[in-house]
Amino acid sequence: MIYGIMCRMVNMINSSDVYEKLVQELRRGVLVLATLSQLGEAKYGYSLINELAEQGLNIDQGTLYPLLRRLEADGLLQSEWNTEGSRPRRYYVISPSGASLLQALSDEWRGLAAVLNQLLSNE
Amino acid sequence: MELIDRYVYAVGRYLPRKNRADIQAELRSLLSDTLEARVPGEAGEEDEVALLKEFGPPAKVAASYRPESQYLIGPELFPTFRTVVGIALLVMVVVYAVLLGLLLFTDPDPLKALDVLSGFIGSALSVLGTIVVIFYGLQYFDVRLAKPSQDWDPRELPDVDVKNEINRGGTIFDIVVEFVLLIALLVFPTRIGVVVTPGTPVLTDPVITSHIPLIVAALIAGLVVNIILLWRGRWQTGTRLAKIASNLFSLVVLAVLISGHAAWLSETTGSGFFGLLSSLPEMLASIPEQTLTIAMYFIQWGLIIAMIVTVIETIEIGYRTFRQIMGWDSALSQVASQQAGHNP
Repeated sequence: MIYGIMCRMVNMINSSDVYEKLVQELRRGVLVLATLSQLGEAKYGYSLINELAEQGLNIDQGTLYPLLRRLEADGLLQSEWNTEGSRPRRYYVISPSGASLLQALSDEWRGLAAVLNQLLSNE
Repeated sequence: MELIDRYVYAVGRYLPRKNRADIQAELRSLLSDTLEARVPGEAGEEDEVALLKEFGPPAKVAASYRPESQYLIGPELFPTFRTVVGIALLVMVVVYAVLLGLLLFTDPDPLKALDVLSGFIGSALSVLGTIVVIFYGLQYFDVRLAKPSQDWDPRELPDVDVKNEINRGGTIFDIVVEFVLLIALLVFPTRIGVVVTPGTPVLTDPVITSHIPLIVAALIAGLVVNIILLWRGRWQTGTRLAKIASNLFSLVVLAVLISGHAAWLSETTGSGFFGLLSSLPEMLASIPEQTLTIAMYFIQWGLIIAMIVTVIETIEIGYRTFRQIMGWDSALSQVASQQAGHNP
């Protein structure tokens, strides 16, 4: 029976659809944290996505931009249009309540990462 | 940049009006930033196609600007649904408030007032149910079947098309009128009429009461077409043809009602179609006995005016449909843009 479950799991990993979906879910969870962590100073969408990519986190543009707006609607970010560059750009920066949430989320993440590292090393 | 303009416009059609312009401006800015970073110098159509494909189909992008959820009526349709429900509820509240006022004025019996209130709840539920059914139909047949496939192509986006946008206020007004008439005919057909003196039975219009199913069918057809228009937001050949069809149906019904009134009036007064006009002063003098006749006379003229308005509207839409089918509009706009130097 255990063999059966293992076979099924291997099948699941091979099935790229399921893999894609799970990776997406995993990333969605940490996306808010990654975004908030980089918005200590004001950035516009494309510069933020570049910065995250440079540090190794590639995020789909269609995911990040709506997320910025949702975070703003939740009061975690503030934004304003800046017309000084070559074209008008919307700059986002973390709000005071976003900053305190970032603190709490970071602690949560560190705890979770520690537990998961532990779990994965026991495998 | 033309594809980006069309893309941003297409996304905007699925966004709520409240922050549509803002999201569109941001999307345009982001797309331009990305394109500029990828392609130094002038970007070609292929570059834009690649970029837009990466961003995804407009409906999907617009949906990601809203909270995720499962739905009976999807995010593309929901703003229109909310508008229509708002209109329907407002109309019902007003109609029932007037009815309640009249009732309390003519017959101050608290039990009858309770009747009206329970009638309000019942008919509000059935009206809301009808609207949900209409929108679920739209969701199923229009939105779901037209769902963008994987090999979506930005080059198939519709042109930016401001001149074919509907007159939203006018469409909402039409929907309000259709709801008022529907509720009046469906909920209390026997209470709409003339009360000569308080306490006496209501004299109803015999022509209208004998044609209720026909009138209701015409109103529902008009309502469905107007709701589709409100949701699409612009005129297309399909919506124009649907509007013409529902208008022709209304014209037939109006013709039946007008001839019915004319026949009733000539039978009752012995005078012809226009004959009543000369005897109107003496009839006005003999109120209340002639109240119903006078009311019928005015209803007939109201119907004639409605018919004239509908004929004019239908001719106008027919003319525009003809232009669209012949392709005159696109030829003209090409000439205009060439003259403006956009398309040398």
